[in-house]
Amino acid sequence: MSSCEFQAIVLTAGRGTRLPEVLGDAPKCLLPVGPYPLIWYPLNLLSKHNFTEVIVVVLEQDKLEIQLALERTPLKLKIDYATVPSDSDFGTADSLRYIYDKIKSDFLVVSCDIVSNVSLYPLINKFRADDASLALLLFKSGFESDVVMPGPKTKHKPERDIIGIHPATQRLAFVFAASDCEDTLNIQRHLLKNKGQLDVYGRLMDAHIYVLKKWVIGYLHRKENISTFKGEFLPHLIKRQQARRSKKVGQDTISDLNVVTKPEDNILHYVTHTALDEKLTQTSLFNQSLSHNPYHGDVVRCFAIQAPKESIGVRVNTTLSFLAINRKLAGIWNELCGETHPLIAPGAVVKSTQTKEIIVADNAKLSEKTSLSSSVFGSNCVVNPKNIVSNSIIMSNAIVEEGCNINNCIIGHRAHVQSGSVLSNCLIGPNYVVEEGTKVQAVHLSNADQYMEIDIQ
Amino acid sequence: MSQFQKEIVQAVLIADNNVWNFKPLSDEGSTALLPLVNVSMLDYALIALNRSGVEEVFVYASLYLQDIREHIKQGIATYASWSFMMTVHVIGGEGCRCFGDAMRDLDAKALIRGNFILLGADTVTNANLRPVLEQHKRTAKLDKGTAATLVFKECASSATERTGNELLIAVDKQNARLHYHQRLRLNHNESRYQIPLNVFLSNSCVTLHHNLLDPQIAIGSPSMLSLFSDNFDFQTRDDFVRGLLINEELLDSRIYVAMLPPAQYAHKVNNWLSYQLVSRDIISRWAYPLVPDMGVYKLQQQYVFNKDNIYKSHDANVSKVALQENVVVHASSHVDAGSTISSSVIGANCCIGKNCHLNNVFLMANVTVNDNCQLRHCVIGSDAIINQNCSITAGCVLGAKCILPANTKLTNTLVTSSPSTQRTEEHEMVELEALGTYAYIISDLTTGDPDDSDADENLMPPSKTLCIPKMCELQPLAKDDSDCSYSSDEDDAGESRLATPLPDDTNIFLWEVIDSLTRGFREKSNPDFLILEINSSRYAYNMSLKEVNFNVVKAIFGMQSIVEPANGNVMVAINAALKQLGPVVANYIKSEDAMLDCLKALEDISAENELVLEKISQVVHYLYDKDFVSEDAILAWYEQLDIKEHITLRQSLAKLVTWLNQSSEDDDDDDDDDDDDDDADDK
Repeated sequence: MSSCEFQAIVLTAGRGTRLPEVLGDAPKCLLPVGPYPLIWYPLNLLSKHNFTEVIVVVLEQDKLEIQLALERTPLKLKIDYATVPSDSDFGTADSLRYIYDKIKSDFLVVSCDIVSNVSLYPLINKFRADDASLALLLFKSGFESDVVMPGPKTKHKPERDIIGIHPATQRLAFVFAASDCEDTLNIQRHLLKNKGQLDVYGRLMDAHIYVLKKWVIGYLHRKENISTFKGEFLPHLIKRQQARRSKKVGQDTISDLNVVTKPEDNILHYVTHTALDEKLTQTSLFNQSLSHNPYHGDVVRCFAIQAPKESIGVRVNTTLSFLAINRKLAGIWNELCGETHPLIAPGAVVKSTQTKEIIVADNAKLSEKTSLSSSVFGSNCVVNPKNIVSNSIIMSNAIVEEGCNINNCIIGHRAHVQSGSVLSNCLIGPNYVVEEGTKVQAVHLSNADQYMEIDIQ
Repeated sequence: MSQFQKEIVQAVLIADNNVWNFKPLSDEGSTALLPLVNVSMLDYALIALNRSGVEEVFVYASLYLQDIREHIKQGIATYASWSFMMTVHVIGGEGCRCFGDAMRDLDAKALIRGNFILLGADTVTNANLRPVLEQHKRTAKLDKGTAATLVFKECASSATERTGNELLIAVDKQNARLHYHQRLRLNHNESRYQIPLNVFLSNSCVTLHHNLLDPQIAIGSPSMLSLFSDNFDFQTRDDFVRGLLINEELLDSRIYVAMLPPAQYAHKVNNWLSYQLVSRDIISRWAYPLVPDMGVYKLQQQYVFNKDNIYKSHDANVSKVALQENVVVHASSHVDAGSTISSSVIGANCCIGKNCHLNNVFLMANVTVNDNCQLRHCVIGSDAIINQNCSITAGCVLGAKCILPANTKLTNTLVTSSPSTQRTEEHEMVELEALGTYAYIISDLTTGDPDDSDADENLMPPSKTLCIPKMCELQPLAKDDSDCSYSSDEDDAGESRLATPLPDDTNIFLWEVIDSLTRGFREKSNPDFLILEINSSRYAYNMSLKEVNFNVVKAIFGMQSIVEPANGNVMVAINAALKQLGPVVANYIKSEDAMLDCLKALEDISAENELVLEKISQVVHYLYDKDFVSEDAILAWYEQLDIKEHITLRQSLAKLVTWLNQSSEDDDDDDDDDDDDDDADDK
């Protein structure tokens, strides 16, 4: 294990707070995306990059379920499950800190909700070439922009980051969440001073794929008050790029505020940057600017790589993106995973002749005389004859009776749509029974009390 | 039918910019005709236009219109290098008081028929502007609302002094549209830039440029002129840019940006510092072919170009003189033996005596410098005479026809030849300090009076006139990474320092008072209203009277103008602030107790503000003079100052306190005493 250059860590302990409508009781990483659970996609991505071993961080309670689900998928990876306690409210940084002991080399952190076909090699090479502390991947956002969110009309406000990148070197200058800023963005002068020019992106999406130096986990381990990686640690680390070694090394130094600072608090205590490295950088002919030391003498360096425009990348962390990826999956399947995976499971019974871009899981029963397009059908679901289903997701064990027209809907697990219903832009919760002849649009129907918003026109 | 008519390239040159910055030489003639390396600035601009293939130029002048007309006429008569293939019209009038007026006048006269090049007469550039003009036409084809394309030049990092031309802009990466425009402050003291969030959210990629110089070159659409006419409050080009950015949709106009290629030079001469910089650049041939030996202006060789950038006229007499690098000596000048000259420009018919040392000196025509003078970083107007053993350094400017008496020592002063050239409009007549019969010092205060909104400081916002950059020693690529090179634990401390002062009521109250006072100071509002405002804040945050007294004084000294005074002269700033806000302070500081509060606030401030600490005795004395604090209060305050903790404070106050003690002993005729000691104190 210690012999490999990078370890890979997939974080799956997220609770999916942004897609409550479709989650049901299953963990977020097992949400069905086409024929496989969500977590399969990042694992597949890693496997395509010749990773053979992956550490998967799971909640204790979900471990068995996830293990079972993954065994059913064709994955050639050795998975090391690291559990975090279910009852504690662990952030991503907390999870990483929890598995501190397992990290023996530089490592990749990948979120479980990324569905992408991007090549990680440019990212890893940038990390290697610039001896970076952190490198992250950015996608063009807007994958789900042409999909209408089903359910009652709400103001959909996507989370956006404002990311500053120095164009010549791809150094990261800052990452702010747009929601953290008020009307103005404060940019520290020193961020601009050395650089002269800075590209600020407002519509890129952080892929949550990070390549990190080993020492970073040591520093993170020390910073116990940081609980999330993206929200707190990343900006912190980026800010620390300006850190300089103080003249007095070693001893406890007393800053002008009479606060005793231990060397362990200083980020530079962790950076493995020896005197030899220092000399190497000084004597090296490699330099990106003409008038300064390489990297301006910065020891901590963070970089960002933009994924090529044609690559696919989406984070399935909201109901909207969940719907979007499922609807579009059949169309992009070849680009995403190659042809090796059949989209219609061998155990599925598809009698319909009018199908276009559909994905069908095991034991699903799609009857004749139906028109099905751009939709996903979960395992054991039943679609009776004389139905039109388009742009929708029918989750596992759901039943659609005869004569229904379903467009842009999510039909939850074990839900039952009785005959003659016309649903458009609807969210149907798990186990909900849609009465015969219901004609609604843009509503959320569910058994849960808080979602009782039934108004039949 | 118009398609057969060839479209001619037109340009507008705005003369008479930045008149304030070039005092006192601007009092004697148009700044556009000020010689820069022995060629007037207007000629540089005209040559630049000629090289870009401009066929018709309108020179717009307000002051000295006749002089400029003469100059152009003479240029055409003597076949100046710009006079070929280009017609030059001089227009303008006394009524034009700012850049905006000039644009409105041009619009009214309807002389401009298409897209035009807009240049300041003080711009020196060797750039070819045709590609930029073509780019502008292309953008205008795509976007009908294109009002202007601003041309910027990338500069090296911010190592050199700021000249007021540095910018921070945000440009759309895809279509080069301008989204944000901010002029950087002269004194390098921004710690952060505040940019509206919308700039980033509504565009997918915006590039922030921080290393730009504004050479005051633009390409205007015909709509630019009508926009000036429609918005009569646009005074400067910056107003225009700001107005358009704010009301983008309303005015349906957009501004685009073009960068000059790295090999092309462009700089604006808007003050003496940039005058020095541009002279240096011309001499060291960055502006090629606009260099002295290429026959700029006159198509004939005027200089012999030697190594180390020494340009010497054939008939200049400079034998046995150590000309170090970067020197230009014009025709008929004479320098005696034993003098050394470096980085300087000597005008025509100058005469320099023995053993003079000149470094970064700019002599206009007919200047006489007598023996043993030391001149550094200064400008000497034409026909001036400097007698023996003078020493003139750091940013001095001598007006035309000045005669400096022997042994004069000057630093950082402006000298004019007669007291009457001061154009003081209905202001109180300022008595000029005399150095000799033909030399009077113009004090910084009179030149920099911020509310004297003179007509001709065209492109400079008035707030900046207070600190006009002067010539100085240029730091060779200062390695100042000081403000970002904290070790990370200090950085941590910085963070916690920012975090700790919770916005408790006292702090919020203080900030509100600072806000009110700053606004009141700027807008010169009635002190009574300010008192009302402060009182309502007081009740909102439930402040005791003591706290109010303390915080009001603290707020006065917490105002931006005092924390970061222009020229570093904090006394001037305090004087200005209290002149306006004195009644507010007086309203609160009435009783002996209140005075003590006031002084305690001062104690607090001196701990935060270095400048105040340095001048603390003067500040206290000033407050005493203006009857804000009484003698007893000062003495009581001095008594309770901790000997150890406030050692510097006590030291600097000791003299004042002894004097106060004395004057209280002999209470009578303290008026006379006052004056005497006042002087002593100042020294």
